[in-house]
Amino acid sequence: MAMMVLAARLDLTAARPLTDALLAHAGSDLTVDAGRVEHLGGLAVQALLAAAQRWRDDGCALAVWPRSAAFDDALARFGLTDAVPGQGAPAWA
Amino acid sequence: MSIDAMTEIRASFFVECEELMESLHDALAILDAGDGTDETVNVVFRAVHSIKGGAGAFGLDALVGFAHRLETVLDELRAGRLDPTPGAVRLFFQAADMLHDHIRAAQSQDAPPPTGEDVLRALEGLMQAAPQAEPEAVDFTPTGLSFDPMLPQWTTPPGTSEWTIRFRPHAGLYRSGNEALLILRALAGLGDTHTTCIVPPALALDPATAEQPQLGWIITLTGDVSEADIREIFDFVTDVCDLDISPADDAADGSATDGVAAAMASPDAIPFRLAPDSIVAAANHDDPPATSPGVGEAGLAPELQPPPAPSNAAAPAPAQPASPKAEPDAAAATIRVDLDRVDRLVNLVGELVINQAMLAQSVTEAGMAENTAVMNGLEEFMMLTRDIQDGVMMIRAQPVKPLFQRMARIVREASTGVAKQVRLRTEGDQTEVDKTVIERLSDPLTHMIRNSVDHGIETPARRLAAGKPAEGVITLSASHRAGRVLIEICDDGAGIDRARVRDIAVARGLIAADAQLTEAEVDNLLFLPGFSTASQVSALSGRGVGMDVVKRAITALGGRVAIASEPGVGTKFSISLPLTLAVLDGMVVRVADQTLVVPLSSIVETATLTPQAIRRIGRSAEVLHIRGDLVPLFDLGARLGFRQARAAGDRVVILTTQEDGGRAALIVDAIMEQRQVVIKGLSRNYGRVPGVAAATILGDGKVALILDPSDLTRSSPQTAIDAIPLAG
Repeated sequence: MAMMVLAARLDLTAARPLTDALLAHAGSDLTVDAGRVEHLGGLAVQALLAAAQRWRDDGCALAVWPRSAAFDDALARFGLTDAVPGQGAPAWA
Repeated sequence: MSIDAMTEIRASFFVECEELMESLHDALAILDAGDGTDETVNVVFRAVHSIKGGAGAFGLDALVGFAHRLETVLDELRAGRLDPTPGAVRLFFQAADMLHDHIRAAQSQDAPPPTGEDVLRALEGLMQAAPQAEPEAVDFTPTGLSFDPMLPQWTTPPGTSEWTIRFRPHAGLYRSGNEALLILRALAGLGDTHTTCIVPPALALDPATAEQPQLGWIITLTGDVSEADIREIFDFVTDVCDLDISPADDAADGSATDGVAAAMASPDAIPFRLAPDSIVAAANHDDPPATSPGVGEAGLAPELQPPPAPSNAAAPAPAQPASPKAEPDAAAATIRVDLDRVDRLVNLVGELVINQAMLAQSVTEAGMAENTAVMNGLEEFMMLTRDIQDGVMMIRAQPVKPLFQRMARIVREASTGVAKQVRLRTEGDQTEVDKTVIERLSDPLTHMIRNSVDHGIETPARRLAAGKPAEGVITLSASHRAGRVLIEICDDGAGIDRARVRDIAVARGLIAADAQLTEAEVDNLLFLPGFSTASQVSALSGRGVGMDVVKRAITALGGRVAIASEPGVGTKFSISLPLTLAVLDGMVVRVADQTLVVPLSSIVETATLTPQAIRRIGRSAEVLHIRGDLVPLFDLGARLGFRQARAAGDRVVILTTQEDGGRAALIVDAIMEQRQVVIKGLSRNYGRVPGVAAATILGDGKVALILDPSDLTRSSPQTAIDAIPLAG
């Protein structure tokens, strides 16, 4: 399973690089390490949601783990607490 | 988004900060004058709030922290619990100065400035001293909510109001440095929230749309909160998002939902569906797209129905317009252009002017008759060129207002340092001058203002004794006059103590003890090198920089400075500057078959040289006797090494002014014409050339040096010239 680590600050500037980085792993199972995330912006969470859809469509597994407290807090604020698959979550396939 | 684009956004934030600081200072000045209204206070508050919001988006914690504390005090002012007394406004001015320091530090990525804590504490002290909310005001609702992503939110106790907020950012929201997360957090700070994310069914993972927001949110907020409280959180993003706020009861009504739907349906709207707590549902492709037959009237999927809520509301919420709001950047009347681009354009126009002059000369030399189509066309071409040149120069022109505002700070700080009460009054601050002139004027102007505070304005006790108000006034004005900019610094102080100035000049060996000087000459002694020293003035203006340096800086800009002073009434410094540094009005002269340009600003007069007018002093030095004065005489050809000094007939002298107010006479062979020339710098390629300021290209394609008469005639030994047997 491929793995990628998210940057600490995922704001407007990170949206495109994050999308590129996720796309680079398209078609394979992927674990995204969100353990260092200090700021998760609206565009970055959108990219992660889009990846979740894409991975599901591709029949691949995607998990976001580990997650920093800031990442979880941001998800809660966005109303997406359970939206992004964590460890052990079923692949969106 | 590329790093360049981010840099650009960051730069835009700092430009906006400058604009906000400008409006902040304007509003504080209105408060200071006692003319403030609620809206004036709001302007101050909004400026600080906006700076804080933007700074938060860029993670500028120190700036956010400072702005937050200032904003907290301003909130008291806004709520009427703190009066804008002169003392309070003075503190707000100081805090604004400190805020500016924080912005500058953040911009240059320096460490945050250490200053400011004392001012903040003083302001917070005012807040503590202010009467608290009256106990009988049982229905008192706190106003002025501030959201701060970096600091703890203050929360309201649970109440009975329940609101439904529908919010969908546009791209401009993120581009302007705002962030949906911070807004959602701020809403959570108002009360209990339940947030539902609206996710389009087909969310593309595509770099091309990565910066295009596609998510929206429906937030149910419960708390002791008014609609105004909620709207305040969206204060700075209303133009860059779809927003609907309605009481939860109304939101449950079908028509209200239509209104919401309309509000959120921009032409490029992506059909939303609810994703309550699960992205899996949101990603269900069975959901109908917005354009499918299942779509509701407003063009949105039925899933946009609000969360279950009591459905017995009577009145629908007013619908917002269906058309998308214009993004602010699209509606902006101004654009920001990199200065290098403007400078390249200025250079190109300079080339155009030179080429036009060469073309005109070629046509003339070809013997073209007047009133031919070519000559008429050429004339029109020349006029157009001139218009283009003026237009391009205007692009670089900026109002002097920001410069003047910086001077207001200098006055505040300087007057506090010497325990004087001084107010700066500005006039004509919309007068426009070339950007470079403004930048290079900052230092000399700062020094002159400090001098006015330190030496011009008396202490309050002396002023009162002289029958003046305790508070002194320095008036800083700018105006256009005869194609130049006139800047005046006028104080209502004691005027120049000429006897003391004279004594100092004698003591420093600048003048002879028995020298007979006019009042104006005494005043001009202030500009002599060595007049001002640190031991002689206070710590304020005695920084090792004398007024001679000020004068040199202004002269280097092609400017002139003059003093007028009246005992007991005050002193006025007048600075006359060119509008631009790109072109120059010059007198084209010929010396030893060379064509040279003498800046018109330095020329006093021209005269024919007669042998009777020449006096020899010592072995080699000569002076020109003109109208009773003796003026040092220089043969320009010899001075520049074009030839040996020689006598010749039909020569003329050009009388020039020097930086110290003295004069010198330059002998030239002939005066050709007076014209505007495009300045071409030499220093980049040749370094500093003594006596030469720059160069230009003339109509015949030849390069002509633009002279610096002051430098030419300053200190080095005068080249001897033969006795000139000239007549007439």
